[in-house]
Amino acid sequence: MKKHQPRHHSLIALSTTALALPGIACADSPPLQSTLSYKFSNYQEDDLPRREAPFGERQRYDIDIHQLRLVTPSGSNTSLQIDASHESMSGASPWFTTADSNGEPQVNLSGASGLGISDIRNELAFSGSYYFNSGTLGASIGRSEEDDYRSSYAGFSAQRNFNREMTTVAVSFSYAEDDIFPSDAELFNRVLDEQKTVRSIALSVSQIINQVTTFQTAITTTDQSGFLSDPYKLRDIRPDEKNQLAWSNSLRRYFIGADAALQLNYRTYHDDFGISSHTLDAAWHQNLGNTFQVIPHFRYYTQSAADFYTSIDDFSLPTSNSQSSDYRLSSYGAISGGINFVADFGDWALSFNSERYIANHKYSAYDVSQPGAGLVQFFRYSLGVDFTF
Amino acid sequence: MSTTLRRIPFKAMGSHCEIQFMGMSRIEGRKKLHPLLNEVQRLERKYSRYDPDSYLSEINLMAGNRLGIKIDAETRLLLAHARSCFEQSDGLFDITSGLLRKAWDFTSGRVPDAQEIEQLLPHIGFDKLEITRSRLIMPTGMEIDFGGIVKEYAADSLARMARNLGIESGLVNLGGDFAVIGQMPGGHPWPVGIVHPDKKENLMARLTLNQGGLASSGDYERFFLHEGKRYSHLLNPKTGWPSDGLRAVSVAAELCTLAGTTATIAMLKPEAEGIAWLQELGLDHVYMTADGTIDGQGMTLVKVTSESQLEPQSSTSVNNHVIN
Amino acid sequence: MLHLMLKMTMLVTLTGLISCTQVQPWERGYLARDEMAWEADGLETTLNQHIFFSKEASSGGSSAAGGGCGCN
Repeated sequence: MKKHQPRHHSLIALSTTALALPGIACADSPPLQSTLSYKFSNYQEDDLPRREAPFGERQRYDIDIHQLRLVTPSGSNTSLQIDASHESMSGASPWFTTADSNGEPQVNLSGASGLGISDIRNELAFSGSYYFNSGTLGASIGRSEEDDYRSSYAGFSAQRNFNREMTTVAVSFSYAEDDIFPSDAELFNRVLDEQKTVRSIALSVSQIINQVTTFQTAITTTDQSGFLSDPYKLRDIRPDEKNQLAWSNSLRRYFIGADAALQLNYRTYHDDFGISSHTLDAAWHQNLGNTFQVIPHFRYYTQSAADFYTSIDDFSLPTSNSQSSDYRLSSYGAISGGINFVADFGDWALSFNSERYIANHKYSAYDVSQPGAGLVQFFRYSLGVDFTF
Repeated sequence: MSTTLRRIPFKAMGSHCEIQFMGMSRIEGRKKLHPLLNEVQRLERKYSRYDPDSYLSEINLMAGNRLGIKIDAETRLLLAHARSCFEQSDGLFDITSGLLRKAWDFTSGRVPDAQEIEQLLPHIGFDKLEITRSRLIMPTGMEIDFGGIVKEYAADSLARMARNLGIESGLVNLGGDFAVIGQMPGGHPWPVGIVHPDKKENLMARLTLNQGGLASSGDYERFFLHEGKRYSHLLNPKTGWPSDGLRAVSVAAELCTLAGTTATIAMLKPEAEGIAWLQELGLDHVYMTADGTIDGQGMTLVKVTSESQLEPQSSTSVNNHVIN
Repeated sequence: MLHLMLKMTMLVTLTGLISCTQVQPWERGYLARDEMAWEADGLETTLNQHIFFSKEASSGGSSAAGGGCGCN
């Protein structure tokens, strides 16, 4: 019926907008406009309680993060995304743990001898998506650099709609190669240059339940191999292989009368360091008229201890044994919550996010045979702005 | 699949409409028709210019409000398409031009004074609208009307919905705007006829539709004659006067919405430009000039003779075909 | 104990959601709202993943791992 001839530019313009109309468009179509988002965040870890750090420094990390993201359609079936971030951190982190006079663990921060850590991290990533009739394909590539760490990574994803677009199945996988070259390595007898490889696959199924409810279940399996220990700790020896599995379930439900949406996520995790964890987070997005949104949110996290976790460094153990007193491998729970605000003015929007996080071994749902020292507490706030053009 | 043709007529958007399908019983078809009817009625109610409670009326009431009105995704996307139409027609297809009906009364056949039109022109112009990702801000005295887009959009929407409901073979007809749901069994296209603008009992052209849609634009329903001059209801938003172009255009394209847009833009241009534009686009089309000449591309033009007389039809296009 | 409770909550939520009604494209207005997206604020999600990754032992959930950092 139609001749094969190059499409007239007017036809292209008119059909692009016609195809985007909701009654006509497929579930997946590229965005019609570009969006530029910027967010500045700062979080400060609370000073260690005196009991945990009787000598010297108690001040921990103070971190500033800048994030920039650009998403733009390119052509009628594709879109591009550029992500950039700049993070600067200063402060101190646990160097080693010893026992105090009561045999309780106490932390010695790296900043104790005026050797605070000051680090800058820059990251840049590019990703593209291709939209076709019943799904989307995506590819991404990125790199991050710090004074003592470098990571290069690439990923691929695909998703497809089924069941009259009620169901979406997505698969993604990523591969990263990291390089660790600690500062002052020779001075402190640290490793000089080590590598780590991370491979990960995720599979998810999303389902529309009814007009106001959606549900998603996802499983991610990750394999890390190489140098997995923390080079900045005096005694930290971990296996050179780690397999982890995470399963998360999410619910989104909109309440018409309240003009608000509930977001619930629950994740369960296990790895072969012996750590299991549960994470539950909830957020209530309350619309206030057409412009404002207030979002209180809450999170509960709990993990068990790694098999080789020891709350007090034992330098007499042979180095062939895995061991670490890193609080992040101990059994503890963390409660966090806060309120976010969003103001949407059409082509641009502002956001303010806040969160208070408190980790404590008393909050753990697992057995705590060795309560750790150095559990972190912090307050974070973020300011964000979005432009659509 | 059963090859009995089922036709279910209904009234919507001020026209006689019909869904034709094959491959299921009449009862099954009626059941599937429900959500389709709901959708047409939803669009009609939402964007009705006549209903003071419609969403469109609500939008137009907010003209002059500094913050404008928050619009939903569907309206935003319709506005994006309207902008496309405005740009591709060099400002002739303008959804803010409905205001001109205050000056032009086609039922009484009254030609307004130049002054009445001059007063309205400052309040017309799509580029005076401010459209953001979630809001529409309209200056005082302006109004929008999706009349030139919604019917064709509804046809495409219904066709897609019908496919999702499991109808494999069918055709949507909303008052002469067609959208194919799926080919006839055996992969045959749907035969469609386009009624002659003046001689309603005759066809102007025939064509077959495999997929996509067909839309027609014409002044044959709404026009008046005054002192021997024919005034079309299609008004030029820049001058405020009726456009002096083709008398009728029908276009077939991969979407009824696209067909309707191109047909209307062709009608708004001066005759020679309209013809050239249709030829440049390369879509199958048929048109009739002011002096009654019929020409086109990709369609079978029908010579008006006594053999092609048909029963009178009330819609501008009609199907007739042979069932095997 | 808490352990078990969490597992039970998950099971209940799952079974309660088994029944689904076909939602037609024209009925998906509510689902298209910003607050109903899986990621209402993309930068926030990335930020949270990064912060929690550096403070806790767990990672992963809805998508593949991505890039690393010296923070863990």
